[in-house]
Amino acid sequence: MRNQTYILGKLVEITIIFFVIMTALFFLFRLSPGDPISKVADPMLTPEDMRYIIEQMGLDKPIWEQYVIYLKNFFTGNFGVSFHYGEPVFKIIRERLGWTVLLFTSSTILAAFAGVFLGKIAAWNKGSRLDNVLSISALVCYTLFIPWFALLLLWVFGFKLGLFPLGGILSPELWVGNASWFVRMLDILHHMLLPLMTLFVIHLGSYLLLMRSSMLSVLREDYIITARAKGLSERVIRNKHAAKNAALPVVTSVGLSLAFSINGGALTEQIFTWPGIGRELIFAVSNNDYPLAQACFLLIALVVCWPIWLWIFSMPIWIRGLPIEPQGMVLE
Amino acid sequence: MLKNHYIQRFLKGWKIFIQNPLGKMGVVILVVFMLMALASFFVPHINPMYDPMTGIDPDIKISTGPSLTHLLGTDNVGRDLFAQLLEGAKVAFIVGLSSAFFSIVIGTVIGMVSGYAGGMVDTILMRMADIIMVMPSLVILLILSSLFGQFNIWIIVFIIAIMRWPAVSRVIRSQTLSLKHRPFIEASRVAGASHLRIIFRHIMPNVLPLAFLYMTFRVTSAILVEAALSFLGFGDPSQVSWGMMLQWVWKSGHMFQAPYWLIPPGVSISLLTLSFYMLGRAMDEVLDPRLRKEGQS
Repeated sequence: MRNQTYILGKLVEITIIFFVIMTALFFLFRLSPGDPISKVADPMLTPEDMRYIIEQMGLDKPIWEQYVIYLKNFFTGNFGVSFHYGEPVFKIIRERLGWTVLLFTSSTILAAFAGVFLGKIAAWNKGSRLDNVLSISALVCYTLFIPWFALLLLWVFGFKLGLFPLGGILSPELWVGNASWFVRMLDILHHMLLPLMTLFVIHLGSYLLLMRSSMLSVLREDYIITARAKGLSERVIRNKHAAKNAALPVVTSVGLSLAFSINGGALTEQIFTWPGIGRELIFAVSNNDYPLAQACFLLIALVVCWPIWLWIFSMPIWIRGLPIEPQGMVLE
Repeated sequence: MLKNHYIQRFLKGWKIFIQNPLGKMGVVILVVFMLMALASFFVPHINPMYDPMTGIDPDIKISTGPSLTHLLGTDNVGRDLFAQLLEGAKVAFIVGLSSAFFSIVIGTVIGMVSGYAGGMVDTILMRMADIIMVMPSLVILLILSSLFGQFNIWIIVFIIAIMRWPAVSRVIRSQTLSLKHRPFIEASRVAGASHLRIIFRHIMPNVLPLAFLYMTFRVTSAILVEAALSFLGFGDPSQVSWGMMLQWVWKSGHMFQAPYWLIPPGVSISLLTLSFYMLGRAMDEVLDPRLRKEGQS
């Protein structure tokens, strides 16, 4: 019961947060300097098309009516037409989303597993040389400047060694030829490896440090002493008793650090010309493609609320009825 | 008498701080970058061609590698890369410190008020903090600069500060909550102190060390965000920051030809942010004796 009211409260909170973001975005786009019509309709359009769009978006009506139309359009998936592509924004976003999700989830999951594993080892051997090496390299990973690191990887592995392609997702000859899906998949994987490595390294640092500090505090708990007193082997204590509990803050931080990851993801996509949402957003912003930029941003806002969803629904399963507060991220 | 007490406390803290290897390393790196930032004021006076923005070596038309006249080489129009690197250090310090300062001021005040007032004020302020906390600051800056045109460096600093106060205010709020019911606060309330006086005279000195600790982490993220923004071409075009240098090497297509141009700015960004982060970690140990004991055992 306690959990249900808690979850309900969170759901209401997310809805409010999202509405606030949407409203703020609406007013930002309408009240920024310049002609508001130019923010919605392509200035290059013919007068007839222009009038059609103005009518559709209600630009000739008072601002609160425009807001209602904006909300209606949002819920029916009508985000307008991209200036640059001349296609509905919804279609473009749908095409790009898969690529971002692929890169994002794979790198996050890999980094979380590696971070938990290495953090566990570092905390277990606290003060040893291994711990120092791991902690310092994690710190370095954490403060790396993402685009620079990506360029460096591209320069070394892509250009100097020629091991990896310099960008894109699929070799041009495979676009047109009738290669089997397996060959295509391998090619995509080949293209994905460098961006994956960038995001992996960037995330690994924070997960490792978080796991290390969480594991250190768990190791001070009384039940670890109990486990020792019972005569359990050190390995069982480390893996079963300590690491499992210590990993929890890392799992929640995967969600909470999403804002940070989105910044990094956009930069990585931009450098490796990976056709995802982040790159599309940067492109839209650079070319004043307002409908596309707005839709990308709303999607990102939805996504940053999403870990809270995930967290809500998985919480009762993990913790079996214990209401926990999200651990504040240790790093940022 | 009181001053003396603060100085003694500072000296004691400093001793613990400097014993920490991370703290020592952080201070050394920081001093190097400070010297670089100071040097950026003198370099253009040696020879006008060392001006990071407008100085052009008349003999050089393409990007050249390191030489005696140009320690790190030149970019594709003949500007000295070392001078740009020095200027970048200055910009990084300005951006990092000032935006961290603003966000600490905002975060501390909001955190203290929210924790002290409680109730509705607390709820509203903390919900606001939640919303801002989950927003990716780089994306927000990108959208804003596409709507309002290219930003001046101070506006960028200010937006970063506004995006970055929530985490600070959360920490300060919980500290304030634990202070609120201590006897000395109650005593001052009985003595007739106003709310403002209690917040700023009695609570603030107790939360300030924590605020300073968070400031070091804010500096790190502010420098990284500004660099990323400049790298994408949305920075202040009149400032030579490290992100800007990377944007130039990338946009001019020299990233595979000119490692002497690509590597230094990135290393500098990472080292400077690393040093601030190390300072924060070492300061953490000064402020939290529990950590200290653990570190010594």
